[in-house]
Amino acid sequence: MTDSTESPDLQRRSGLTRLKEGTYGGFFAVCAAITLLTTVAIIATLLSDAVVFFSQVPITEFLTSTSWSPNPRGGGQTFGIVALVIGTLTVTITAGFVALPVGTLTAIYLSEYATPNARSILKPMLEILAGIPTVVYGYFALVYITPALKATLFPGMSTFNALSASLMVGIMTIPMVSSISEDAMSSVPDDLRQAGYGLGATKFEVSTGIVVPASISGIASSYILAVSRAIGETMIVVVAMGAQARMPAVRDGLLGIPYINPADTLLESGMTITVAMVQIAGGDLTGGTIPYDAMFALGLTLFVVTLVMNVLSDIIAERYREEY
Amino acid sequence: MATDTDTARGEGFGEVSRVRGIVFEYLSLGASVLGIFALAVLLIYVTIDAFDLANADPLWLLTYFLTLVVPFLGFCLYSARDPALTRRAVAVAGGGLVAVAAVFTAIEAFVGEVPRLNWQLTYLFVAVIPLTGYLTYMGARGRPGSVGFGLIGRLIGGTAIGLAFTVLFLVFDERLWFLAYTLGIVPALLAYAYGQLRDTPAAVTAALPVSILGVLLAVFAREALRTYPTTAFIYLWTLAIPIAAAGAVVVNGRGSRTAALTAGGVPLALAAAVGLFGRAAGLGVGGPNALVVIAVTGVPVAVYLHRVFDAGDGLTGLGLPVLLAAGALAGALVVETFGIPTPSPWVSETFLTEAPSRTASEAGLYPAIVGSVIIIAMVAVLSFVLGVATSVFLEEYTADSGVVGGLTRLLQINIANLAAIPSVVYGLLGLGLFANFLGLGFGTAVTVSLTLSLLILPITIISAQEAIRSVPDDLRRGSDAMGATRWQTTKNVVLPEAFPGILTGTILALGRAIGETAPLIMVGAATTVFSPPSSLFSKFSAMPMQIYAWANFPQAEFRYGVVAAGVITLLIILIGMNGTAILLRNRAEEGH
Repeated sequence: MTDSTESPDLQRRSGLTRLKEGTYGGFFAVCAAITLLTTVAIIATLLSDAVVFFSQVPITEFLTSTSWSPNPRGGGQTFGIVALVIGTLTVTITAGFVALPVGTLTAIYLSEYATPNARSILKPMLEILAGIPTVVYGYFALVYITPALKATLFPGMSTFNALSASLMVGIMTIPMVSSISEDAMSSVPDDLRQAGYGLGATKFEVSTGIVVPASISGIASSYILAVSRAIGETMIVVVAMGAQARMPAVRDGLLGIPYINPADTLLESGMTITVAMVQIAGGDLTGGTIPYDAMFALGLTLFVVTLVMNVLSDIIAERYREEY
Repeated sequence: MATDTDTARGEGFGEVSRVRGIVFEYLSLGASVLGIFALAVLLIYVTIDAFDLANADPLWLLTYFLTLVVPFLGFCLYSARDPALTRRAVAVAGGGLVAVAAVFTAIEAFVGEVPRLNWQLTYLFVAVIPLTGYLTYMGARGRPGSVGFGLIGRLIGGTAIGLAFTVLFLVFDERLWFLAYTLGIVPALLAYAYGQLRDTPAAVTAALPVSILGVLLAVFAREALRTYPTTAFIYLWTLAIPIAAAGAVVVNGRGSRTAALTAGGVPLALAAAVGLFGRAAGLGVGGPNALVVIAVTGVPVAVYLHRVFDAGDGLTGLGLPVLLAAGALAGALVVETFGIPTPSPWVSETFLTEAPSRTASEAGLYPAIVGSVIIIAMVAVLSFVLGVATSVFLEEYTADSGVVGGLTRLLQINIANLAAIPSVVYGLLGLGLFANFLGLGFGTAVTVSLTLSLLILPITIISAQEAIRSVPDDLRRGSDAMGATRWQTTKNVVLPEAFPGILTGTILALGRAIGETAPLIMVGAATTVFSPPSSLFSKFSAMPMQIYAWANFPQAEFRYGVVAAGVITLLIILIGMNGTAILLRNRAEEGH
């Protein structure tokens, strides 16, 4: 090149080269478009059948009725999502009680206390928790956790129950909380920590008083993601929680204030939105029946809820992030 | 910041409580290991159930401990050549024995009996297995250890991949493959090689169209042609010979031509001999499947042996497979001679090769394993192509600003959201779109593979993007400065650099796909099938589906036996895949 006296025309390329470039570029663009098409296809599939469902069952009945019995063989069908929502909330809240504190403490330990060596061992091991197939967790809950709890703490527990399923969902979501929170904590600049130490703060005070508040947006977004994961969790709940949609008994407490005993839902079998979908899918799949369409209505509900939570988590992580 | 308010009441200076800090540190340490500890306990119990270790005679455990585990640990220590490590290992093994026995006896005496555990098993899981894992890691750093584990890895991996090939031909038509290979792939390879040798770019460019044309031709010829060679010959021509040739090329690249001929020729001859004449000679093994397995295992082993002998270092490591086999044989011999009662593990040959059954002792996982292998193969191809193409587009072909930039951001956000959609919803997509709308059938391999490919696509794309992003920009600039087009830069610079990272990410994502159950239920995959699928459109099952089906059985033999065996099989396959992915990543990181 250096020898040439005239400046070469760098842009000139043979027709074959240009054709090749265009073909490959086009192929890549088409593949990228498939991801967008997937979203469109999910929304279209869910909507097309959900619309049919809501033309048969009024949306107010779907959202307020407390009885769920799809009854694929016909007769006495009711489609009320409330009982399913209560089942889902039971699992999500109980799992949250496990995953959120444990995950946050893990993140603090990994980011503030652990030596590089300990971190390099602990982090991949925590990732294993998220990599175990969920049907295996469900099996663990049914076959090991429930008998263990029955033998020790709750003798009256039923074989299929919400508690052991929720505990497993909680353990599964720990790495989700810990890894995102730890990323947020690690990105807190060291100056802030040093400033804290300079003012005489202990490591505990620096961790809880400086690092955690400074990374609170990341922690919050990790919580939302973990909760959204717990809402969509299927196999653990299907295997270990059973499939009986039920409303918890409302009891009269002190001064006649009604309350719900958590044991009524936790130690009994129940049904989440995801279990309801799987139960219908286990029966009839050819389409055209109301239960089939109901499945898509439930899927749409699940999709909207998890999408809103993910977008929320994104917004929190973006907007409330402290800029350094 | 929060510190402002803290320091405002500075009168507490000098009275800092250390207790609070220490308690907090140990609390958070406890939280970090809580989940891992819980999972470890569950895995111990499922292992005990799957291998029936609760009924294992302590003498049986002792025999195999002495013949199999102790020699292996000795090998690892020999390879590590670290006297301090040896002292520590002996201390852990001996001290662990005393400590576990004492603590366990104390717990049994004062707290109560621990179900299905005795102190020998506790010692096995608490001391021996972690020690073995650690010493394996340390031993692999020494030359003999790395040679030995490399050889074992190739033997096991080659056998697994060979078996997977034979499983794939249960659904894919080997005659169509024969025609496509002969008419499409061979001419394309010849054109490519010619173009490279004679420096004619047109021939290289022609390779891709030629292969597509050949495959199309093969599809038509499959209808017209009636006579075909035998299956064994097809495997020999389309699998064994190219693999042997590839091995020979690799060895040839390292220098020696005779070694290349040996490394390719010996396994090929062995595979051909056993495959074509093994059954007739009364060897007990033979047939086309043996041919594939021997070729797929033998060639990498031969290439590896050549490399080891060439380096001339750590040759003792090659004795490791012999050591292990001899240990297992000796253990079996001792158990046989002294009549020590052996446990009857649920994970057994019949479990892996038989169809499911209503009786626990006859139940098997074979059709489900076949189903899983087929799904994984198809998902691997689909998600790899789509994932790499999409990430190349996002990283190399788009701009950061303007309309294109906005579109890229939209795609990026969309991918992040797709990754967070629950897997049941993907199941509904598969049911509504692939099964009902496109009519690909309920629970067929095609429907399931397409659904799972879309499910893991976001994960594949995100990890491939990270791998591509980690390629230094200098390399791209250098290639651009030489006048390379964007595709040439991508093909010659970016993809080769990013390939190990992309492969690791894809394998990890496949690990997710192999364990997914909910989408399979939604698209109507069968919970139980009694024979392996015969085509891509026949009803079939997968390992997690079978586990789900069995978990509903109320009998104890199923709950604590058959399902545990299924879980262990699934987890071993998962560990194998993820371990390979991590090895690949480490190897790539060492290379830089």
